[in-house]
Amino acid sequence: MSSERTVTIVPEAGLHARPAAKFVETVNEHDSDVRIGYGDDEPISAGSMIAVTSLGAESGEDVRLIADGPDEEAALDALERVLTTPEDELADAEG
Amino acid sequence: MTERTLTGTGATPRSGVGTVVWYSPDADLPDPDEATADPDTERRRFEDARETARSELEAERERTAERVGDQEAEVFDAHLQFLADPQIEDGVEGALEDGLPAEHAVQRAFADPIEQFEGMDGRTAERADDLRDVRDRLVRILVGGDRVDLGDLPEGSVVLAERLTPSDTAQLDPDRVAGFATATGGRTSHAAIFARSLALPAVVGVGDDLHDVDEGATVVVDGEGGELVVEPSDERREAAHETHDVEIREEAVTTADGAEIEVAANVGQPAELEGAKARGADGVGLYRTEFLFLDRETPPDEDEQYETYLEALETFPDGRVVVRTLDIGGDKQIPYLELPEEENPFLGERGIRRSLGPDADLFETQLRALLRAAADGDGRLAVMFPLVATPEELTAALETVDAVADALEDEGVDYAIPELGVMIETPGAVFTAPELAERVDFLSIGTNDLTQYVMAAARENERVAELRDPRHPAVLRAVARAVEAAHERDAWIGMCGEMAGDPELTELLVGLGLDELSMSAVTVPDVKAAVEATRTDEAAELASAALEAATGAQVTERIESTTPDQ
Repeated sequence: MSSERTVTIVPEAGLHARPAAKFVETVNEHDSDVRIGYGDDEPISAGSMIAVTSLGAESGEDVRLIADGPDEEAALDALERVLTTPEDELADAEG
Repeated sequence: MTERTLTGTGATPRSGVGTVVWYSPDADLPDPDEATADPDTERRRFEDARETARSELEAERERTAERVGDQEAEVFDAHLQFLADPQIEDGVEGALEDGLPAEHAVQRAFADPIEQFEGMDGRTAERADDLRDVRDRLVRILVGGDRVDLGDLPEGSVVLAERLTPSDTAQLDPDRVAGFATATGGRTSHAAIFARSLALPAVVGVGDDLHDVDEGATVVVDGEGGELVVEPSDERREAAHETHDVEIREEAVTTADGAEIEVAANVGQPAELEGAKARGADGVGLYRTEFLFLDRETPPDEDEQYETYLEALETFPDGRVVVRTLDIGGDKQIPYLELPEEENPFLGERGIRRSLGPDADLFETQLRALLRAAADGDGRLAVMFPLVATPEELTAALETVDAVADALEDEGVDYAIPELGVMIETPGAVFTAPELAERVDFLSIGTNDLTQYVMAAARENERVAELRDPRHPAVLRAVARAVEAAHERDAWIGMCGEMAGDPELTELLVGLGLDELSMSAVTVPDVKAAVEATRTDEAAELASAALEAATGAQVTERIESTTPDQ
């Protein structure tokens, strides 16, 4: 059993720097194994900042998130929030 | 020890003596003798180093957020994630198993991802620098050597570095640092401009020889001659102390016969505002806004810009603040704007050309912030457009101002139209100065660019440096033409290039009719003193003699024959 979701990236920076850091942090806060797919490539581990940054996914592009584990739905919800929150609000949300 | 002199480019007409403190964020690593380290010991060393790096990064994130801003602090979040990356962990573990010491394991583990990032396009490639930063931090912790805290140096330190970034210089405490020298950089590099704004002795572009200077050595930083003197003789040390102390005048000055000349400062970032005020600047004659857009992932929003402009107005409660709208292109790059590579960037899409073209959105946001700030500025805010070459461009820029004002009006937002002006930097602007001046409140001559374009001699090209002489009649006649056009149409006219900050030229510039001179803060007191020593009738005579000269040498001769001994 695993859950899958396609999300369009909102932050202007794309999946780099701050949004990427927040994304990886969120992955590692959950117990499920999360992979991320971009374009036609095989999905890769989403818990690595290097791996996620090396995708080069930009704002407005789609990524596939595949979660497998006890909290897979919660993980996907949280990750979707990260990827669809504009950057300035991302900062505000953290205070 | 015998005296040794290294040459570079002087950034400030100031000298200082002090003790060398090396600032090297990149740690050097000796080659491993043999791969026989104990993996368990090395693993513990690695884990400890990672823990130290984590606390350092968290502390730096806090400090940057406080001192500079949340946006600038974000880079540390990315560093923290790279630090914890499983790919790095695996790489380090593999290298430890091979018997490598921890510092070499770190080097090896980062090598592949750095290479991978570098091979990619755009923003991912830039992240390679982040990886290098994290790697170097770990290596430095492992091989020992405390990271120098630029904010807490012993008094009398001379900082030596390969380069100093904006975040480095922002930490330097000018009261404790006696000066700095960098291996890279030129007169217009960030570090050099920063040094001038704080009157800090500095030499840039010394080259690789700089690395031969030892920690703790005594050095003279001669920012005027562009020399770094290692283990100086007593005479050399004494000479460095003989700074020409010009009195700082906080009030506005007039010529000896009572003509008011505004003496303002060029400012490149908020950290320089206080320094400019402390040097007695009447206001800001050129506020470069590029810093707002550099070293970040996305452009600044309207509110952030509004706050920044307000800060400048508040620092000079009685002075004018002239803000230049975004001037990128040429040699100034901003990653997220994806500027195209151009064959001749200085003759390409830069300044107002981008603001009326691909950066129209940024231009509008900037103008919104400026018009809002003008509402709080009691008429002291002025805005000027860079690199205008034609009246058509000015028309388009003014139309954008009107459209932005209409939008703010509709939204019920407080705004005011600031003083509007055009920079005179191109021959096109010189020849159409009457048409330009007709429609604005002021003109401001950017002599660095004007000289480069009048002489067709690129700013960065040392082989044509001799041609870039702002004293040449070719340039002076262009200046005179712009001044005449401005005054005939009741516009005021200023000058904001290097030329304006040279006290030897003050009399000539007053004679040419400039109403305002704006320069790096360091020479504000010197120029104020030169203004007070000037008589407008004599200055006018000097100006007409200079305009009739045929060569740069003749102009220099005429200046020297009239300048009283100083």
